[in-house]
Amino acid sequence: MVKPPRGGVLAWTAVTAAFAAFVACLAGWLAGGGSVDVAWAPTLDLRLDLALDGVGALYALLATGIGTIVFAYGAAYLPLHLEHAGRAEAEGRRFWPWMTLFMASMVGLACARDLILLFVFFDLTAVASYFLIGFDRERREARGAALMALLVTGVSAVALLLGAVLLQDAYGTFSLPELFERARRDTTTTVACALIAVAALAKSAQVPLHFWLPRAMAAPTPVSAYLHSAAMVAAGVLVLGRVHPLLALDRTVLDGLLVVGLTSIVVGGVLALAQDELKQILAHSTISQYGYVVTLYGIGGASGAGAAALYVLTHAIAKSALFMTAGAVTEATGESRLSHLGGLAGRMPVLAAASGVAAATLAALPLTLGFFKDELFFGAARDRGTLVAVMAVVAAALTFAYVGRFWLGLFAGPRPAAPTAVPALLVAPVAVLAAVALAGGFVVGPFAGLAGDAATVTHGAAVEVAPAYHLDARAENVMAVAAWLLGALFLLLARARARATDTVARAGDRFGPRRWYGVTLRALNAYSDRLHDAEVRDLRNSIAAVLVPTGVLVALGFAFTPTRGSFAVGAVEIEDLPILVLLVLCVAAAFTVVRDPGRLRPVLALSVLGFALAGVYAVAGAPDVALVAVLVETIITLVFVGVFSRLPQPPRRRPARVPRSRGWRNVLAGLVAGVASFAAIWATLSRTSPASGDAAEQIARARDAHGGDVVTVILADFRGLDTMVEITVLAVAVIGVASLLRQGRTW
Amino acid sequence: MSTVIDVVAPRLLGPAVMVAAAIIVKGYSDVGDGFSAGVIVALAIALRYVTFGSERTERSLRVLAHAPGVAACGLLLALAVGFLPVAAGDPPFTHRPVPGVEVVKVGTLELISAVAFDVGVFLLVCGVLVTLVHHLARLVEAGDR
Repeated sequence: MVKPPRGGVLAWTAVTAAFAAFVACLAGWLAGGGSVDVAWAPTLDLRLDLALDGVGALYALLATGIGTIVFAYGAAYLPLHLEHAGRAEAEGRRFWPWMTLFMASMVGLACARDLILLFVFFDLTAVASYFLIGFDRERREARGAALMALLVTGVSAVALLLGAVLLQDAYGTFSLPELFERARRDTTTTVACALIAVAALAKSAQVPLHFWLPRAMAAPTPVSAYLHSAAMVAAGVLVLGRVHPLLALDRTVLDGLLVVGLTSIVVGGVLALAQDELKQILAHSTISQYGYVVTLYGIGGASGAGAAALYVLTHAIAKSALFMTAGAVTEATGESRLSHLGGLAGRMPVLAAASGVAAATLAALPLTLGFFKDELFFGAARDRGTLVAVMAVVAAALTFAYVGRFWLGLFAGPRPAAPTAVPALLVAPVAVLAAVALAGGFVVGPFAGLAGDAATVTHGAAVEVAPAYHLDARAENVMAVAAWLLGALFLLLARARARATDTVARAGDRFGPRRWYGVTLRALNAYSDRLHDAEVRDLRNSIAAVLVPTGVLVALGFAFTPTRGSFAVGAVEIEDLPILVLLVLCVAAAFTVVRDPGRLRPVLALSVLGFALAGVYAVAGAPDVALVAVLVETIITLVFVGVFSRLPQPPRRRPARVPRSRGWRNVLAGLVAGVASFAAIWATLSRTSPASGDAAEQIARARDAHGGDVVTVILADFRGLDTMVEITVLAVAVIGVASLLRQGRTW
Repeated sequence: MSTVIDVVAPRLLGPAVMVAAAIIVKGYSDVGDGFSAGVIVALAIALRYVTFGSERTERSLRVLAHAPGVAACGLLLALAVGFLPVAAGDPPFTHRPVPGVEVVKVGTLELISAVAFDVGVFLLVCGVLVTLVHHLARLVEAGDR
């Protein structure tokens, strides 16, 4: 009896957790939902506002349901994957926590009704996806792909934060239900909505920010089957569906979505036809399919919202089944290119049938759930106008063509490859999803109900989603038949199609946004390198890099604030004598530091300077500052002496003269920094009386806090949270030192 | 000079700990806090490292090996003092006794939860600094060999 590897236990724990979460979400939805609202930082208007409403239930059920199935698939896939790469099976330990974290943040994102919370979960999914896409970390392209996904979706997520802050500034709340009540149509709202839409579109891999998704196929198949069908990319349209009442305030935002969606459908569809790698076909298909959803949100209204919700649901089921098919085929044959595969139907009949159902679902054939998604899509498109209706037919035809090409290329044809047997667990999940899709083709009620609930939240009013088979010549049916015929035509005209799609693909490679991403990244990198080189070229540059910008900023601050009365010249009295003596000592020490060519003497003079200043603080009535100054000064002296005792003796000759130009630069940098700090300190010292503001209040309240010493009370009580964070930074710093210098040994 | 340090360094730790304890005990009503106290003790230990090297210092003061643990305990103590009030429904860092309630005194020591927080800061700062000195000393000595 072989003990199951630890990775296996983890995998099945993850599957169980996902399934339990699925059951919980399902029960919650059937019980009518519910919500939690905790104002955890009320002064910052931050709330933990989670609701299992329609949108929440739809995406949470997808994340956990597809999650369960894909996790089970991954439990069989990952050991094979690691074995092929010659890696230890224990490395699965780095996989499952991220998958589970991803699922959890996806559920959180689905339920979040607060813009800041939305942003946090949005970024959590990006972080988890970084580690999942880069799971094969020894492969360069996997690392690059992970970084690209993180940069594209993470940088655009900042737009979401900007939009949230704009809305909060205008309406005084981050809470979406409150914003829906308060928001009016104006420029701020439109700009904020456009920013949120940018973040969502980048996440859903829409043109022109779509290029990260095909690269992300470097991830192991379970990651693609989950993140790139039902989760990560769905997060974008989830946000669109969640904030839709705000987007709908301004028609231009919706029109923008419409244009981006239709463009993505066409670009993704045409490029999917040009690909040869299985997962590349599916990745481009995902771009195209989420284009449908974005288009539907752009159309808006009850019909658009309902169609979008059902579309997301159906697509996630079908697409993850197809991804898992691709993974199973590649495991069985060792081949991942469509042109090298074919004729597998006889060898893998179950997989062929199951993925056939999934493909039919995506291609919207009758008797599958997919038929209804296109029925609603055509209905909404027809309502919007002729142009959109025609585009919808073209879109569906493209889908039909690339899905047909994918499935026929794998399973039909004369070339029977000789596949090795694969574990049943690589096929069973596909079959389960196919069964769900098929069941939806007969009993669409529950799916339509879920979509209707989600659309109700998106639309802001009750929406009835009621797709059904109609055996008549209504527009939806005509459009569907037209799409199948056109798609079949695309499939049959193989040579002309290949020429056209290859041209588009090549043009995309040469002029597309992915190239611009590379150019921008390289330029930024080069700029950063140049700046860094200039900064660290010598000690003078390093110091000037700190002092000069500080000085210039302080000077700018003075230039833009009124300075009348802020520079007072006080009287010198006889009790100031100790301070004066200490200051003279400071000046003398400062001259020694600058003029002495030796090594130890300037250091000691520097400590004399520091101790003299500490003395000034003590005399001037700031004993706390004096105590800290003495301690810090002691540490610095000790460190200097310790370092200098290890340096080799300097040669006994005068140092080379500094070139004249360099000398002038030194003087200039010193002047800028010196004058600015002189002005800043003078201005501060001119206001010695804490008559108002926080300081006065803290002094007044120190007694209430049972403290005699204001500084201590501030540190431990009034600003205790700040102190907590600061000492945590200390602890983190020591962990950093231990891992950098001593391979993570704690002692 | 080195003779002086040789004599002073090993004898400095006792007074340093004494001063630190004094600072913490009277810290809430007078100058000083956990940070200063932690730095004072750490400085005395650092002086030993500079004088005798890490090998000899750590052999003579076996307790130093617990420095990372001490730092962790300090962090946990500070966290606990800061966030336990949340369990009682108060904002974090609500110290007991609350304003207006008489403070229980044991000699100079006032029994306020803020002082416990200060002890946490002291332990953390002391532990972190000693650990840092240890790591740097080990690195330097490894470079010498």
